[in-house]
Amino acid sequence: MSIIKETSPHIHRKDSLARMLIDVLIALAPVSITSIAVYGLAALRNLLLPVAIMMLAEFVFVLIMNRVPYDGNKHTFKEHFQKGWKAYRLHHVLAPIVSGVIFGLLMPSGSNPGYIIYVALILGSLFGIVIGKLVFGGTGQNIFNPAAAGMVFAKLCFGSKYVYGTNGYVSAVSAGGTVLSNLTETSTNLLGRYANIGDISLWDMFLGRIPGTIGEAFKFAILIGLIYLLIRRAADWRVVLSYLGGYAALMAVAGIFVAAKVPNVNYFQFLGFSLLSGGVLFGATYMFTDPVTMPINAPGRVMYGILGAGLTVIIRVFGALPEGVAFSILICNLVAPALDHYVYSGNKFTKKKILFTCGLAAVFVLAICLGLGFQEVTV
Amino acid sequence: MIAPVSSIHDTKGLLQTLPTLALDVPDYVYFAADNARCGAAEFYVKEGDRVLLGQLIGMRDGRFFKQPIHSSVSGTVEGFEEHYHRSGKKVKFLRIKNDHKDEWDPSIKDRSDEEIAKLTRADFAKILEANAMVGLGGSSFPTYVKFNNDKKIEVILINAIECEPYITADIRLMMEELEKVIVGITYLQIAFECKKVLICIKKKHRELIRMYQEYLRRYENSGIEVCPVGNFYPQGWEIAMIKSALGIDVATGHLPSEYGIANFNVSTVWGIYEAVKHNRPVYERRISVTGDGIKYPSNFIVRLGTPLAALLEKCGGYTEPDKDKVFILGGPMMGASLPSDDCIITKTVTSVLVFNHEAKEEAPCIRCGSCVYSCPTGLEPKQIMDAVKAFDKPRIKALNPLKCIECGLCSYVCTSHIRVTDYIRRAKMFAKTK
Repeated sequence: MSIIKETSPHIHRKDSLARMLIDVLIALAPVSITSIAVYGLAALRNLLLPVAIMMLAEFVFVLIMNRVPYDGNKHTFKEHFQKGWKAYRLHHVLAPIVSGVIFGLLMPSGSNPGYIIYVALILGSLFGIVIGKLVFGGTGQNIFNPAAAGMVFAKLCFGSKYVYGTNGYVSAVSAGGTVLSNLTETSTNLLGRYANIGDISLWDMFLGRIPGTIGEAFKFAILIGLIYLLIRRAADWRVVLSYLGGYAALMAVAGIFVAAKVPNVNYFQFLGFSLLSGGVLFGATYMFTDPVTMPINAPGRVMYGILGAGLTVIIRVFGALPEGVAFSILICNLVAPALDHYVYSGNKFTKKKILFTCGLAAVFVLAICLGLGFQEVTV
Repeated sequence: MIAPVSSIHDTKGLLQTLPTLALDVPDYVYFAADNARCGAAEFYVKEGDRVLLGQLIGMRDGRFFKQPIHSSVSGTVEGFEEHYHRSGKKVKFLRIKNDHKDEWDPSIKDRSDEEIAKLTRADFAKILEANAMVGLGGSSFPTYVKFNNDKKIEVILINAIECEPYITADIRLMMEELEKVIVGITYLQIAFECKKVLICIKKKHRELIRMYQEYLRRYENSGIEVCPVGNFYPQGWEIAMIKSALGIDVATGHLPSEYGIANFNVSTVWGIYEAVKHNRPVYERRISVTGDGIKYPSNFIVRLGTPLAALLEKCGGYTEPDKDKVFILGGPMMGASLPSDDCIITKTVTSVLVFNHEAKEEAPCIRCGSCVYSCPTGLEPKQIMDAVKAFDKPRIKALNPLKCIECGLCSYVCTSHIRVTDYIRRAKMFAKTK
């Protein structure tokens, strides 16, 4: 027995990084299982391929970063490998699994031609893990959410070849798109494209009986995951609440114009459609809550959520792209360090910060009012 | 887990139900020649001299105050020895051989109640200075300094919170020395000419609160009240205590006395009673010896200068002797760890904790923000840590680490087991230099 000197405090909360990552994996389980049950092998491929690639990339990264430092002697590969292997930890395994599963769930079930999906999965996950995370220094250092970065890259490169599983929903407009991409194809008019949303039952959207990526459509499963994350406190409720709340509020503003001007569209139908379509819930649950890429204090996190909500709404309502969640995540990731700047950072909700947050929200409200208020409806 | 700490599981457990044991007075006691606040001491006795219990044997010289040293046994002076002090340094100790007669110094006489009723605040300061009273809660701040001003005090707060986990010495003191504590409080009322006294006790110690409420019925209209406060850590920090008891925010860098508040630890109140009523210096104190490395955790009344080995022996020694131990004087959150168990009990040792060492590896910070949410002073530990790593002095200063009270919560909550508090300590050093 020897006596060890250490600095205070001498006790610690029962918690660990690995435990937190396992919590996220548990929260991802309902979506993954539903997805595998519905899409079968395609879902398995979407999940396993990115996970394998990301794990491999992280493993290589750990080996490179922990190689024997230069000391004048030549070292064999075995020596480098052994030293790197010693630094390989549980979180090096779990973190890429989390990123990989999220990325896989954001990809479609197939493509046309069929081999493109493999290329998209491989390149997307490589881009996500390497450019999105490892070049910054690995876990905890990254600016971008790896899954969002990979998903956006894959979508920009191969998006036109994606084929979404119809999953029981028969679209009258175009086969192979999502509910949201059908919108942009229905009409280029900002309001007119909502003319047919009454055809889709909200209950079907909640259960995931609509086309979409293999994970984001199953809202009930995502909600189970979200509740688990919030109970386990693995996600910060401030971001979830400010993002989903901000999104709902801004869409409620947009809904006033849509319901007033577009015939046959019910206000609540529009609101429900906005909340249940696309990746809003999925992004809010698994991607906006990534603690590494968000600001560190409470006011910053609320602003982060509001900003994300505003950007998502703007891209959805005005954008040429059907879906804005992943883009708004990446833009918010870029802004997060600025929200943390030491000159004004602090964990208190000061008057100035509340005012700034309200101003931010007001800008988005104004943009929606100006954009939709003067719009004439043509279908 | 992204969440602030609401309350630390306090593991006081059954230890708070055990009565305090009186430890046999050891054959040798030791007195440090210097301590955390004072430089080298001047001893008035030399080898071979006979000393009496309570006799003034030396004087430590602080920069702003002097601290007398009193013998805690009667016996013979035997020269110097080196041991570890509470501050973690090895210092010289004066050794006194105990003759087990406990002869009191003739100058130590009781005061009558009439005499005490006539004492002024300045008299109190004199008595406490002569009896070397310091904050027995662990701060070792000389108590007389709090009496040495003429600010109007409107309310006296008694800190009986003991918010550090594991420690139960104060709770046992409150139960066992109930009367002395209350009489000590009435002395404070005399000294500060102030009626209102609040005894702050954690809400969850319901029995203690009931006990005091029942006993205080004997002191009707005395102005002494029990004030239940929150269960969280660091509730015992004076500014947090004032906030929850009175709702007053004491600004950083200001003293509670500027707001008309005087606060004392409950064991200091007990010490004040002994000093004023019996004119005794602090010659014994209560100590918790606990932790998972101790076989039979217990509370003790020990003479100052007792070597720790005697306490450990009485506790049945260590558990699992093949495991490495961490040896802490003070609480598990703020206490200092010692490199050896060769240590001497001084006035300011509130507890001895022995833990089985558990090495925890640091994982990368994932910016979960638990440290930011937990900080009782509203700092952002993670940001300060980044600034320290970058040696970015303007950034460190802007983040204001000097507000930190080193409560240790940021390390306690860290999901990645990073010792954040160490970085904040370094930041404080940076911020103090130009």
